Amino acid sequence: MTTKQNLYHSKPAQWAVYGLFFAAIALIPVFVTDGFLLNQFAVYGIYGMLALSISLCWGFGGILNLGQGIAFGLAAYGMAMTMQMQSQDPDSNPIPPFMLNNSLEHLPWFWQPFWSTGGGILLALVVPTLFYVVFGTLMFRARVSGPFFAIMSLAMLSAFATLILDMQPYTNGANGISPPAPLSLFGTDLDPYGTTAYWIVCGGLVAVTVGAKLLTQSKFGLVVQALRGDPERVRFLGYNVALYETCIYAISGFIAALAGCLWVMLIQYVSPAQLDTTFSIGMVIWAGIGGRLSLLGAILGAFLIQGGQSYLGDQFLATWLLMLGAFFIVVVRFLPKGLAGLLEMILGSIARQPAKHARPEPAGLPAAGE
Amino acid sequence: MTSLDIAPFANALVLGASIASIWLIAAIGLTIIYGTVGVINMAHGEFIMLGAYTSYALQSFLGLPFLLCLPASFAVVALVGLAIERGLIRYLYNRPLDTLLATWGVSLVLMQGVRLIFGSDPKYIAVPEIFQSNVEVGFASLSVFRLVVIGVTALVVAATAWLFYRTRFGMQVRAVMQNKEMAASFGINADRVYMTTFAIGAGLAGLAGSLFGVLAIVLPTMGTAYVVQAFLVVVVGGGTLLGSVAAAGLTGELQSVFAFLTNDTFARFLLYVLIVVFLRFRPRGLFAVAKARR
Repeated sequence: MTTKQNLYHSKPAQWAVYGLFFAAIALIPVFVTDGFLLNQFAVYGIYGMLALSISLCWGFGGILNLGQGIAFGLAAYGMAMTMQMQSQDPDSNPIPPFMLNNSLEHLPWFWQPFWSTGGGILLALVVPTLFYVVFGTLMFRARVSGPFFAIMSLAMLSAFATLILDMQPYTNGANGISPPAPLSLFGTDLDPYGTTAYWIVCGGLVAVTVGAKLLTQSKFGLVVQALRGDPERVRFLGYNVALYETCIYAISGFIAALAGCLWVMLIQYVSPAQLDTTFSIGMVIWAGIGGRLSLLGAILGAFLIQGGQSYLGDQFLATWLLMLGAFFIVVVRFLPKGLAGLLEMILGSIARQPAKHARPEPAGLPAAGE
Repeated sequence: MTSLDIAPFANALVLGASIASIWLIAAIGLTIIYGTVGVINMAHGEFIMLGAYTSYALQSFLGLPFLLCLPASFAVVALVGLAIERGLIRYLYNRPLDTLLATWGVSLVLMQGVRLIFGSDPKYIAVPEIFQSNVEVGFASLSVFRLVVIGVTALVVAATAWLFYRTRFGMQVRAVMQNKEMAASFGINADRVYMTTFAIGAGLAGLAGSLFGVLAIVLPTMGTAYVVQAFLVVVVGGGTLLGSVAAAGLTGELQSVFAFLTNDTFARFLLYVLIVVFLRFRPRGLFAVAKARR
């Protein structure tokens, strides 16, 4: 070998970095004891999951999805409905207060399944995923792709947002649903500011990240990456492109749905703002800046942007969006692979440099040592 | 049906024509930009918003009469579009998804920039007295200004059609659309065609914006209200001028009729779902042109 392998592409190195990352987020509760701050970090973890889901379908599958808020928002509503029903009593007080304010006399039929906590959470995860399967099948079998798909996902998102706004008596419209009590699982209340809630989100993020990483390395993941390059060619090789596209889209939707459930667990609130187009495109910006071709890059992109928004946004409230927009333009223009792509480039040039010096020596060194 | 039953329905149809004209004029700049340059311009809504602010600024600071503000905002926003095309978009022509994202960044910058300059409070554009009255159209009553919008839209469509199908420039544009390399080898400067088309598309958005500024209030976020509909018109129409006219007419009327049968927001939901199903069968829109892969 004349050139060393780029460390960025070395699998052991990648897993080592993942391990470091997991250790870092697992250590946070040791150093952070303030409940409010811990809750905020957990929320960042959820944004990380969303960015990961975008990286999976956009970075790996080449499907630009501007409507990821559909899964996130619908699941968040499902979770909020579950938590709301936990504080209602079937006999004495079966109807949530906001419905009474909207003069509903019976619990609507689609609220009934949410009496059961397990059933409610299951629905919150299954309904958005099923929607993604149906919508994805419709779009991908018609070979709607690229910008057209992006626009359609955006349109569906805005359709859902208006529908939820419109169904005031059933969804409390623009005010949203704010369950009065934290989620109670197996008889214990889950304090959203406690360490348990943090661990749940942390565990979710780790599981989803490892799952997604393994998925991208599997045969399925390779086919998905191939169709990002050239769907026609993959089709001619005999693969059912629409099926693969629908699968990766639905998996990414499932991850976003999971994120939606956990988000409501932490925030105890949901409103149509979670289906806002700006929020969904924001997820794409996280993944784009962090690096859509890198799962971890996307997660860190979400941390970076949302963290920046929380800390810089307070100081430069007026110019934050201006800076974010300009930063994003620069990244798209000069770094299409995001900050992770920058790292790849730097590591690549480091890997090449020593190799040039080492050329006279016999090349017996193992590739990508450290 | 008796005439009593027909009246509200006819009213809905007239209103539908008005909605269609609004969506069409919002979409027409987008159509020629997408159809010619192949760029999904996410900043289109902000171009509309810039047009409204241009009219507002010209009117309140320079005292320009409203009818002169229309061509003025066309010119100003066309210049802004030109600058953005030269500074950013032209580097991204071979990356269609990235142009979508970059123009989203542009829209963030424009929106926040306008907010910094003009503030977040609503502005209003004054129009001549006669535009504010109502007029009877058959069974329906419509404000005169909505008729003005329909008239301007018709004019703009006619002018665009003339430009693209009756002039030398239009022939060059169509040649570049069909095959950029071949057109270039015949001496057409494709780069300049793209630049000019983008600027014209942006200018048309500005023109639409100065009309919308009268229909609704002028706000930094006003563009987002029109942009999804404008995109749907382009997607349903397939990116051609005729397609957009047909798509705007169809979706506008459907929206109005659905709204008449249910309500405004549910009508929108129904319409979007219908469009998804429609695209299942005609993924390239109503009047898809057979064109070479870019």
